[in-house]
Amino acid sequence: MTQFEELQQAIIDGKAPVSKALTEKMLKEGIRPGEFFPKAIIPAMDEVGRRMRECEFFIPEVLIAARAARASSDILRPLLVGDEAISSAGTVVCGTVKGDLHDIGKNIVAMMLESAGFKIVDLGVDVSAEKVVDAVRQHQANLVAMSALLTTTMVNMKSVVEALAAAGLRDKVKIMVGGAPVTDAWAHSIGADGYGKDAPAAVELARQLSAA
Amino acid sequence: MMNSRERVRLALEHQEPDCVPLDLGASTVTGIHVDTLYRLRQALDLDAPGTPVKLIEPFQMLGEVQPDLINALAIDTVRVGGTGTAFGFPLEGWKEWKTFAGTPVLVPGGFNTRAEPNGDLLLYPQGDRSAPASGRMPQGGFYFDVIVRQQPFKDEDLRVEDNLEEFSIFSDQEIEHYRRRAEELYTQTDKALVLNLGALSLGNISRVPGPGLKCPRGIRDVEEWYISLSTRRAHIYKIFERQAEINMVNLQRIHAAVGNRVAVAYLTGTDFGAQNGPFVSPQTYRNLFMPFHKQVNDWVHRNTTWKTFIHSCGSVWALLDDFIAAGFDILNPVQCSAAHMNPFDLKGKFGNRISFWGGGVDTQCTLPFGSPQEVCQEVRERIRAFGPGGGFVFNAVHNIQALVPVENVLAMYRTAREYGGYPLRLGSAA
Repeated sequence: MTQFEELQQAIIDGKAPVSKALTEKMLKEGIRPGEFFPKAIIPAMDEVGRRMRECEFFIPEVLIAARAARASSDILRPLLVGDEAISSAGTVVCGTVKGDLHDIGKNIVAMMLESAGFKIVDLGVDVSAEKVVDAVRQHQANLVAMSALLTTTMVNMKSVVEALAAAGLRDKVKIMVGGAPVTDAWAHSIGADGYGKDAPAAVELARQLSAA
Repeated sequence: MMNSRERVRLALEHQEPDCVPLDLGASTVTGIHVDTLYRLRQALDLDAPGTPVKLIEPFQMLGEVQPDLINALAIDTVRVGGTGTAFGFPLEGWKEWKTFAGTPVLVPGGFNTRAEPNGDLLLYPQGDRSAPASGRMPQGGFYFDVIVRQQPFKDEDLRVEDNLEEFSIFSDQEIEHYRRRAEELYTQTDKALVLNLGALSLGNISRVPGPGLKCPRGIRDVEEWYISLSTRRAHIYKIFERQAEINMVNLQRIHAAVGNRVAVAYLTGTDFGAQNGPFVSPQTYRNLFMPFHKQVNDWVHRNTTWKTFIHSCGSVWALLDDFIAAGFDILNPVQCSAAHMNPFDLKGKFGNRISFWGGGVDTQCTLPFGSPQEVCQEVRERIRAFGPGGGFVFNAVHNIQALVPVENVLAMYRTAREYGGYPLRLGSAA
């Protein structure tokens, strides 16, 4: 097993101390920080996503794997320089919409997107449309990912779409939405570009929208 | 015509009564938000404008469903609840308050809020404003979400009792409250009594942060808790083991007080399902939860005539055989919008072994956003699915939320009564 495969396995198994130690060891041995993502972290989290879709992994296992991935990526991100520091996948502004404080789903999506190589600007919960617009401008994001758990707050996703349009940013970003009451039909009805039914689907969607 | 109690009893024995029994407000998972309750009561001319409704559950902001509303909608069930709330203050000392939507509400004396500069409202454990707030309602919001107040901890310092502070043997006064309430409702109504013991749930994620405690210790962070179900399994097992011992004592004492006047015991509200599948693997359920669920169900079935009720949102198809093996008689809320939760498939595979309580109309789409005609259509379809052979108590999927049009609530109950008569008219709902 190569060291990259070992690191992949540590992430899939959710062994954060192992993934941290391996990352440090491999860096010392001269492996470039930028190599870790395509060779270990991204494929590991793709495998986690596959296992989640196929009901081999559930919420605890996904959270543990995401923590192990983060233990590695937290060391690597500050070391990325030059081209490596620019996320090739894209920059995602994400958050839970205004009036809604629920973030477990949003956090899992953010962690999976980050592990898939996206740069994440996480605005947290109860996020106003104006805050999204400001963040898109400031970070030159190409994706916005909004979450809602409540039927009383999902309507605020529409405000985000409208605010981005009013700010003249609508053609610069793709908008994806998700959360328990959200559906594909809802996403289309508010003018969003896509709906992710779960975290792996959100990663897939983000890849498609980024490539489009 | 059959009375309500008999109607519910037969349905839960998997027999067809005269019509499908209806529930509203018999539990804190089949209730109604205060804003919608107020508008419903106004629409039915039950109150003069401005008459407040009573808040009985401050987390989901549920209102009290009173006898006049029960009668107006021909509801067959009634709630037997405790004296406390998730935020640790008792349901007493009522005072006036207004929701962000302007609904006049009577809230308990311990419902003490403070506005943040951004307009959010904070709520305090045991009503104590000097303690760190444990609930937050965003400005313009409808519910109080629990604030996580996780203290830093080291694994070697974790103690089982830290996560058990909120669980204790009920006081004599609490038991007496249950006794009095059950006797009153049993003798003064013909409704089926639903005993609400959801607060005893093992690992209910809305209670894990300890909203009723001033200084919660142990594992209180939501993500950390979910992770612990896998990484600290032995520790969680010990917490559940001890909690189950406490629960068993409470259950025995409550039964000694209320006897078999109660028809149904709502025993657990822990969500095991997410929108697309179970939160935890069936193996985790079997190892960590099922032994204790089985223990309590076995005791109830050996010693009482109660039917046991499990509430779990989401997609639980993959766990249903285990819920049944654990001894549960009733599944709620039957979230048909979740993956693999087709009503006809559920009834076909599990309908002879478990009763469905809920599932009557979708809460995420149809009830809040559909037209009354769409509500009517869906209710008829759900009665066709779940009604045959009994084993069905009608309720929406989960509580009726804020902002739901009253016309939809009325259409839901009207349709359920109109099309819920046995023998069912099973032609196409179209």
